[in-house]
Amino acid sequence: MREKINEEVSVVMYYSAKKRLAQPHTISWQNREYKVGKIGYHHPVWDGKTLHHIFELVDVGQTIWFRLNFDTSNLHWLLEAVSDGLPT
Amino acid sequence: MDFPLNYNQPLIMHVDLNSCFAIIEQQANPLIRHKPVAVAAYDSPRGAVIASSYEAKALGIKLMVNVREARMLAKDVIILTPDPEKYFDAHRRFKKVLLNYTDEVTPKSVDEFIVDFSGSQAIQKGLSLEEVGLRIKQDIKDSLGEYVTVNIGIAPNRFLAKLAAGLHKPDGLDVITGDNLREIYSQLVLTDLPGINTRYEARLNYAGIYTPLQFLDAPEWQLRKEVFKSIVGHYWYLRLRGHEIDNVDFGRKSFGQQYALGDKTKDREKISRLLMKLSEKTGRRLRKQDYEAWGIHLWLSFENRTYWSKGKKTKSAIYSTQDIYLQAQRLLNQINIPARVTNIGVTVFNLQPASPTQLGLFDNTRLDARSIAKAADEVNDRYGEFTLVPATMANMQDIILKRVAFGSVRDL
Repeated sequence: MREKINEEVSVVMYYSAKKRLAQPHTISWQNREYKVGKIGYHHPVWDGKTLHHIFELVDVGQTIWFRLNFDTSNLHWLLEAVSDGLPT
Repeated sequence: MDFPLNYNQPLIMHVDLNSCFAIIEQQANPLIRHKPVAVAAYDSPRGAVIASSYEAKALGIKLMVNVREARMLAKDVIILTPDPEKYFDAHRRFKKVLLNYTDEVTPKSVDEFIVDFSGSQAIQKGLSLEEVGLRIKQDIKDSLGEYVTVNIGIAPNRFLAKLAAGLHKPDGLDVITGDNLREIYSQLVLTDLPGINTRYEARLNYAGIYTPLQFLDAPEWQLRKEVFKSIVGHYWYLRLRGHEIDNVDFGRKSFGQQYALGDKTKDREKISRLLMKLSEKTGRRLRKQDYEAWGIHLWLSFENRTYWSKGKKTKSAIYSTQDIYLQAQRLLNQINIPARVTNIGVTVFNLQPASPTQLGLFDNTRLDARSIAKAADEVNDRYGEFTLVPATMANMQDIILKRVAFGSVRDL
């Protein structure tokens, strides 16, 4: 079931110059740390002149899907939604 | 008139993304892969399904069934609402992959492209189009994700290429040439042909044509005079033989916006406020493409399944949101609303490139409607949609969400 969260969360991000790849590494939410597994999709969204990066990903254990929004104007991370992959 | 089959090298490729929106959602969320997924306009019981995964299709969840019916067909179906920005991003990535092979890439919709390989470097390097097709499949996986598959059809014309792309879904790659055309037709029924719906099928049946092979073998005069009763019959005669007659790009004729009311109402004030928002969205698109319009059309549908529409040509150019709203409101004033409104739509037509208005002696001394519209667009471009809105639209931010246009991709 997909659930809207819309909470700011702490995220550790890494950048590999070799692979020219930047992506979230760890998410802290509800006093738990989730190591990022597969990135399902990443796309940019413009809200006026503000660029947001949307990451949809699962944790390494493939138990939870997260939709993260990275606001490039203030470098804050918003957890928009989570899902366990089950029907509503 | 007798015309032979087209035996030329097939150089037209039709590429379409399988179950586009559903598969992109499955790509984005690995936890819902290999499960029945339906993307619906709304997740309320009457929301219409606009895309379903192959797993959902296998359970009978097809386009336009509503959410309640989808849940009756499969209680474990996962219902999602559309994420247009993600689909537009997928469309752009899809196009970028194809542009690596040739410049002759024409989007037919958000999930379909026609690629013309005549004179392309890929072919000049000695690759067959099947080899190019296999590379494109891999490039699309690399760009959009490993779960995304496409159907590819290769043929001498667009019609046959689209037909070929639909032969082995999902993840097909088929070639139709003058050599295998009859064999392919012999395995199909009339409604398998793109563009032949049940109405056309009935017309063909009436003329004694029951199969695609009989359709192919019908003389040109019969299709023109007996079946289609117009030049359309001649076009079908050529199309079926692999000759190109569909490479015409029709220019834009209108801009429109519609909305299905989740909260049905008879309240004129509420309807006017929705009309203003639709006018703003239509106006933004009109001005972004640098057009003005000289006609407007308004339609409403009602809970009692009746429908009302009215259009008119205007004496002055429609450009600003206020121009659209005022004209639409005048049309709305002419109707006695019989029941609660379920859908509302506004379209502006008779488009012309936005011309500079005639220079006046006192230009730039006051704020005219065009300057205000342009200034408001600049504010909304900078700070996001609906940052600056007419007072009528106050507190309407979440009403009328961005929607995905199936047909046109000109605004992308």
